[in-house]
This record gives sequence, structure tokens and C-alpha cells, in this order.
Amino acid sequence: MRPMRSMFSQSHRSVPSLNVASMPDLIFTVLFFFMIVTHMRSDEVKVRLQVPQGSEVQKLANRQAVVNLYIGRQGEAWHVQLNNDIVQPDDIPARIEDIRSGLSQENQQRLTVSLRVDKKAPMGLVSEVKHQLQKAYALKINYSATEIKK
Amino acid sequence: MFRKRYRQQIPELNTTSTADISFMLLIFFLVTSSMDTEKGLLRQMAPPPLEHETPKDINRNNVMQVKLDAQNHLSCDGKPVTLEQLTAEVRTLAAVNRTGHVVQIEADAQSTYEAYFRMQDAIVGAYQNLRQTYALKHYGKNYEQCTAEQRTLMNEYYPQRISEGLLVGDGTSAKAATNQKGGGQ
Repeated sequence: MRPMRSMFSQSHRSVPSLNVASMPDLIFTVLFFFMIVTHMRSDEVKVRLQVPQGSEVQKLANRQAVVNLYIGRQGEAWHVQLNNDIVQPDDIPARIEDIRSGLSQENQQRLTVSLRVDKKAPMGLVSEVKHQLQKAYALKINYSATEIKK
Repeated sequence: MFRKRYRQQIPELNTTSTADISFMLLIFFLVTSSMDTEKGLLRQMAPPPLEHETPKDINRNNVMQVKLDAQNHLSCDGKPVTLEQLTAEVRTLAAVNRTGHVVQIEADAQSTYEAYFRMQDAIVGAYQNLRQTYALKHYGKNYEQCTAEQRTLMNEYYPQRISEGLLVGDGTSAKAATNQKGGGQ
């Protein structure tokens, strides 16, 4: 009987609880880290695209003066998306003018159009878009790509 | 009686769920933000040509014509080349005639963007290669490690002279309507 009871009493002993008081602090640290290193995804990409790979790519500085232009597939047809909306290539100059008027003097000078173009996109469309950008005097362009090491 | 009161502890706040709340915030930020830094080839296009603008004359010998056909085949001055050969060709041209050469590129409307991008990448690679050699020779360090002024100097020493304009004229002189300069920061 006696050894039995001792066995039961052992099971009653409670496990010391872990002190988790500092866990929120740790998670907050991680949270702040992410808040600083990332930036909010500004626009929803409505076209499907995969940018090419290149070895000579540079980082694009100053995000405020960057206009995103996406060229990709939506279903079977190729579409151009400027910032948040699907546009026709002919509408680009007017759109760029709109965006430009909302920027500060400095950023107007620095305005860069980041072209995120799908690998398979035909050059005819890309040239057309580039021509429209040229008309709008948005002359700084960036062919977006992922980096590969040489 | 009094002693007992002193020993009474302040009830602890139950903070177990704070971790869960902050986890939720963390996950929210992870989902809504993107980490990827924008990277790409920076280019400067030429302003739209004016009506009264006359095309500039350039010596045909200084022009290298790089073409991309509908089947994504690359050719340089009429000869089919690979990307590595193109880099080498541009490198030789730019090394011989630093400020006078022109690389004229032309892509068929049917060619894919990837092929075009690779061509641009290969051409920029040639200039980068030259600048790197220059940096090692004159400053004794890699191009990336040079100061901004040194880099600007090098970019001006080896300017990227890439044109996407059409060539007009006969064999001896060629005219480029638009010129696209390479963007060096």
C-alpha cells in the first residue's frame, strides 16, 4: 500500500511553470525589425509576370519617385498595368503627367519608371510602352530583374 | 493581522496572451509587406526627337549593330553571336574608341523581352568589365568599393553609348536618331 501512495503523490507534484513574460518583448523586437526592413506592398499586381534574371543589376534608390509599370499576362492577352490600374499604352503619357503633378519638385526630376516585364512579353509591346514613356518625358527607366551571380 | 496585510501580493496581470497578440501583428506585417528590394538595369532614354532636329553623323566604323531577330537569335554586325561573344565584342569596341563608339541595338517586335534583357545585360556587362579593370589598375580596388566620385569619373571615362535609334544612310556614314545613354547612378 505504501509504495502505491508514494507513486500517486509523485503524480500530484506540479511541473514548474515556464516564465513567458519576456516572450512578447522578443516578438515585438522581431515585429519592429520587420516593420523597418520591409515596406508596404503598394499595389496589387493584376497581371501574371516573371521578371528576367541579370547579372549587372543595381539597386533602385529612392522609392518615392518610382512608378511601377507591369507588363504581363491576364489570361491569354498581354496587359500593361501602371501602379494600380490596367491601362492602354496610349493612356500612359496622361497617367504619368498625373503622377508627376503629385510629386515634389525634387522627385519630379528623379522620376523613375520601373518596368517589371514578363520574360515572355513580346518586344513590340515593350517598345510601344517605352515610346509612350519617352513622349511623357519619363526618361529614366529601370528594367526590373532578379540578380544572378556570375 | 497587519503582518498578513503586508505580505499580501499585488495580483499579477495575466500577460500570456500578449505574445499571441504580437504574433498576430507580426504575421500581419509579414503578409502585407514585401522584403524584395527593387533591382534592375537603370537606363536613361533620349528625349523625344524634335521635328527640326537633324540626325547626327557618325562614322560607320564606330558603329556596332546588334540585332535580335524574331527567333531570338542575336547577331552583331551581321554575324550570329552568343552573349559572351557580344560582351567581348562590345568590350573591344569600347576599349578602342572610348567616347566615339556607338552600340546600336535593334530588337524585332516578335522577340521576347527576356532575350532583349539578356542582350542589354551582356552589353552593360562589357562596360562594367572595363570599369572594373580600370578601377583595379588605378585605384587598386573593386569598382563596387570605390567612392561615388571615383565611380562617376569611371562612368565618364567609359561612357555607355547605346543607341536604340534607327540607322539611316549608306555605308560610310550612319545617323542615329535617338541615343540612349546608360544610367550610372
